[in-house]
Amino acid sequence: MITFNINDTEVQAEPGWTVLETARQYEIEIPTLCYHEAVSSSGACRLCMVELKDGSWSKLVASCIYPVAEGINVYTETERVKNVRRWVFEMLLAQCPASGEIKQLAAKHGVESTRFSIKDPDEECMVCGLCTRACEEIVGLSAISMVDRGVHKKIGAPFSRPTEVCVACGCCVTICPTGAMRSRIDAVRGIPKITLTPLAV
Amino acid sequence: MNDKPKIGVFICKCGQKIDPFIDLSAMKVTVSKTDDVTCCEVLPYPCLEPGMTEIIKSIKEKEVNRLVVAGCESRLMLKKFEKRLESEGLKKGQIDVVNLRGHVAAVSDLSPKEKAEKGARLVNASIAEMRALHPSIQQNVHIEHPPMILGGGVASFTAAQELARKGIECYLSIPETDPDIILQQLYQKYLGERSNYPRLKKIIEDVLKNDRVTILPETEIVSLSGITGDYSAALTVPGELNRKRYQVGTIIACLDGELTAPGPEFGYDGKTVLCQTDLENIIYNAVIPSGQTVFWINDYETGQEEYARLSTRSAWTMSRHILENSKKSQVIILYNQKMSLPLTASERSLSRKLGIIWVPYDKAVQPVIQLGFVSFGGVNDHLEHEIPWDRIVLSPIRKIGGNSMQTAKILGIIHEESEFLGVHHAKVRPEMVGREESYLAGSARYSCDLNEALNQGKQAGKKNAEMYQKSAENTLFAPRVVCIVDTTKCVGCGQCQEICDCGGIGIAEGLGGGIPRVVDPMVCTGGGTCAAACPYQALTLQNNTNDQREARVGELAKQLKNNEFVAFACSWAGLPAADNAGNRGLNYNPDIHIIGIPCVGQIDPSVMARAFVDGAPGLLLVGCDPENCHHSFGVDHAWSRVNILKKLFTLCGFDRRRITMAHADLNHPEDFVKTVESFSKMLKALGPIEKTPDNQKKLESIYKLVKTNSRVRLLLSSGLRRPWEATYRGDQRYALEYDRSDFMDALKEELLKVRLEGIFREESRPFDLDEIISKVVDDQNRIINQLSELVAEGAIERTYKQGKPFYLSAN
Repeated sequence: MITFNINDTEVQAEPGWTVLETARQYEIEIPTLCYHEAVSSSGACRLCMVELKDGSWSKLVASCIYPVAEGINVYTETERVKNVRRWVFEMLLAQCPASGEIKQLAAKHGVESTRFSIKDPDEECMVCGLCTRACEEIVGLSAISMVDRGVHKKIGAPFSRPTEVCVACGCCVTICPTGAMRSRIDAVRGIPKITLTPLAV
Repeated sequence: MNDKPKIGVFICKCGQKIDPFIDLSAMKVTVSKTDDVTCCEVLPYPCLEPGMTEIIKSIKEKEVNRLVVAGCESRLMLKKFEKRLESEGLKKGQIDVVNLRGHVAAVSDLSPKEKAEKGARLVNASIAEMRALHPSIQQNVHIEHPPMILGGGVASFTAAQELARKGIECYLSIPETDPDIILQQLYQKYLGERSNYPRLKKIIEDVLKNDRVTILPETEIVSLSGITGDYSAALTVPGELNRKRYQVGTIIACLDGELTAPGPEFGYDGKTVLCQTDLENIIYNAVIPSGQTVFWINDYETGQEEYARLSTRSAWTMSRHILENSKKSQVIILYNQKMSLPLTASERSLSRKLGIIWVPYDKAVQPVIQLGFVSFGGVNDHLEHEIPWDRIVLSPIRKIGGNSMQTAKILGIIHEESEFLGVHHAKVRPEMVGREESYLAGSARYSCDLNEALNQGKQAGKKNAEMYQKSAENTLFAPRVVCIVDTTKCVGCGQCQEICDCGGIGIAEGLGGGIPRVVDPMVCTGGGTCAAACPYQALTLQNNTNDQREARVGELAKQLKNNEFVAFACSWAGLPAADNAGNRGLNYNPDIHIIGIPCVGQIDPSVMARAFVDGAPGLLLVGCDPENCHHSFGVDHAWSRVNILKKLFTLCGFDRRRITMAHADLNHPEDFVKTVESFSKMLKALGPIEKTPDNQKKLESIYKLVKTNSRVRLLLSSGLRRPWEATYRGDQRYALEYDRSDFMDALKEELLKVRLEGIFREESRPFDLDEIISKVVDDQNRIINQLSELVAEGAIERTYKQGKPFYLSAN
């Protein structure tokens, strides 16, 4: 059993748990986007940042991938954490301005505009990779994956063509935190074809 | 494992997403009172490590052997629970996830108390299903016999080579064993591949002298029976009429497609207007043709545009061969502007050096071959141009070919004649099928070049070797949800085999009538329409049985009030649409109580009837769009089953709209909401079915009829759509003809019989005719006939008092 503090409250955890899991067990809310209980965590969106303090020293870590340790002091709502969250939200608002889900969550944390330039006003995807993880870990396929690299990275099927590997289970649509997969799935599974066989004469 | 069920229920708070909307403590109180519930806990997150620790604790301390989690989407979460808890003894099928968040919490304006009631109803239904579960033992598959490579395709050699390399002995059935003759004939199957022949020859020679490969020269497959691990293949014996049987573990089918010349509509004459196959034969065996050769890549015009690139590749290798060997020849390649050239940069530069002229043509204007000239539309100027020719070379038509088709039919990997062999009809998660694919390699699958075919052969060999290795290590398991046949009940009518789309059902041994069917657990996808179609209920879907589903729907129906109804939603369309509606927070009528199932085709008519017997006023089945079913025809089969219930409802005087099919798409939850609204509105107008003893008896007769009457069940299953049928007799389009056939009469007859039997079962006193007629409102003559039949069968006795007939139960 590991004992440590979250927001000055003593909590207990088993080795192997993450800070986020422990916080959720104690019903302490930490916002997340790229995290889903069904798949492994990747720490991509940086929204779940918490502050670790040790005297005058402190650092920020992503709680979804940070394993618990004896005696650490975790703070989830310090000024530094809130500041990082605001920055992340501003960047997300610039990356995927068309996503209603992101706007809602940002507004909940008091961020309603961004100072970054918006490249594509119709973009909904924040490239967190939750859908590709779902496809791989839940379904057992890799119908979708990250295409391209760096700032050009996006989600799609190989060669941006509908793929036969896709079984059209819709896990990616259900798991998508921004609603971006809704408009993308048809390009992966192929538009459902309704072929009515002509009447026999 | 088959001990008394001890069910653990874990209710998730899901942060702020479930807890404030549903009164979870009230729900916990209700659920805890249910029988067989050993523990019921409300946890912040059962799906996270802290929650899992609690669950494992309950498994260890309270010996929980069934688990129900009330949380979110089972499509996403179930896998995690299955993976995590497998080592604790909870196997697939023993865990169920009820979507409280998406189907209850987020989608209506009910008060937390009312939502708690609805949630408890759904959870109790799931508990009832768990109670009826008899978990199967993990089925270990052993493969002891060697694999056999069939079909005579060129991919056979790489498959055999790969198997031999992995140390596995195999049979190889091929029509020809001389490498030179094999290569000589290869141009009829794969074009422009001469440069690869030396490499291929080495592979062939290597395989032919390999000790691990038993060559069966000049043989062909005649019949195949059995299942993965234990096939019996009958092969011809060269020069004899007898056939020889081989015991085989697995089959690799290597089938090559066929290349044929296009028809006369393109001017093909085999002399100056040639096909690529003709030219290949000429240039490699005789002289290099001089003069102007024009390749017309006409795959777009023959309707095979996906193979234009393949034809272009072979045209390119042939032109290269011509120009490298003859100074006096010119080559022009004419191609549709829609195609991008499949050449690498170095090939382009070589092409320029050789002087090959590539001419794209306007896609809107089809080139016309005239005497000495071919005319086409220019891409830029849209002007008609003409090229003179000495020889025109057309692309071949690609298709499966007779021999390959024949073999495919024997192996059961084809249902209908089409251009190419598909791999699998069903579109399901890989974990649902034991074998990854049907080990099919070669250009009969889809037209490809030699390299691709050889690679496919190698892959098939590799996958097969993996299977043998797993079998040797005792780690080759069949999926948990597959069909099994009760051979004592099976009469060998073959309905299941005919409607099975995955090819998993076969005959145990030999031909003839009355032989029980067997299911290959490594091929079965668990679609389950076969089990629902069996007239004698000899088939069951393991860990997902009919009894389980009846228990669940019955339990749910018993708890419903007023206009609340049950809906079956398939996990490919209805369920994701409902999940996504919940995710988006769309509101719909809370009367609906959703039960998720793998495919609506699994729903036996008895399950549908059971919902009404136990008090549901309506039943909705939400499946995929027609022609889009993941188990091929599950949705069509469900349609036929719904319709038999509709007919029975009409015969019994109930409103037939109470049971209705609907179609959904996972990406259009707003349409799902409309479906729910429309059905609940209609049901509200109809009101619940009046709970009179008469009505209840009628419903029970319907239930008994569709569950146990083999005649009706056989008539129903013989009307189901077959995989090779584009349309079928039970299809919406032929519904009228079907209804007007004897089917309706049979239905009326059997229903009356069941109802009469019910009367005599209930009371053992004699009834006179008038009383019977007043109890069963039906045509008098029909009743008299039916009574006589029952007397003849010995089910009832007829006595006379004062000349008036009385009937009473024979027992």
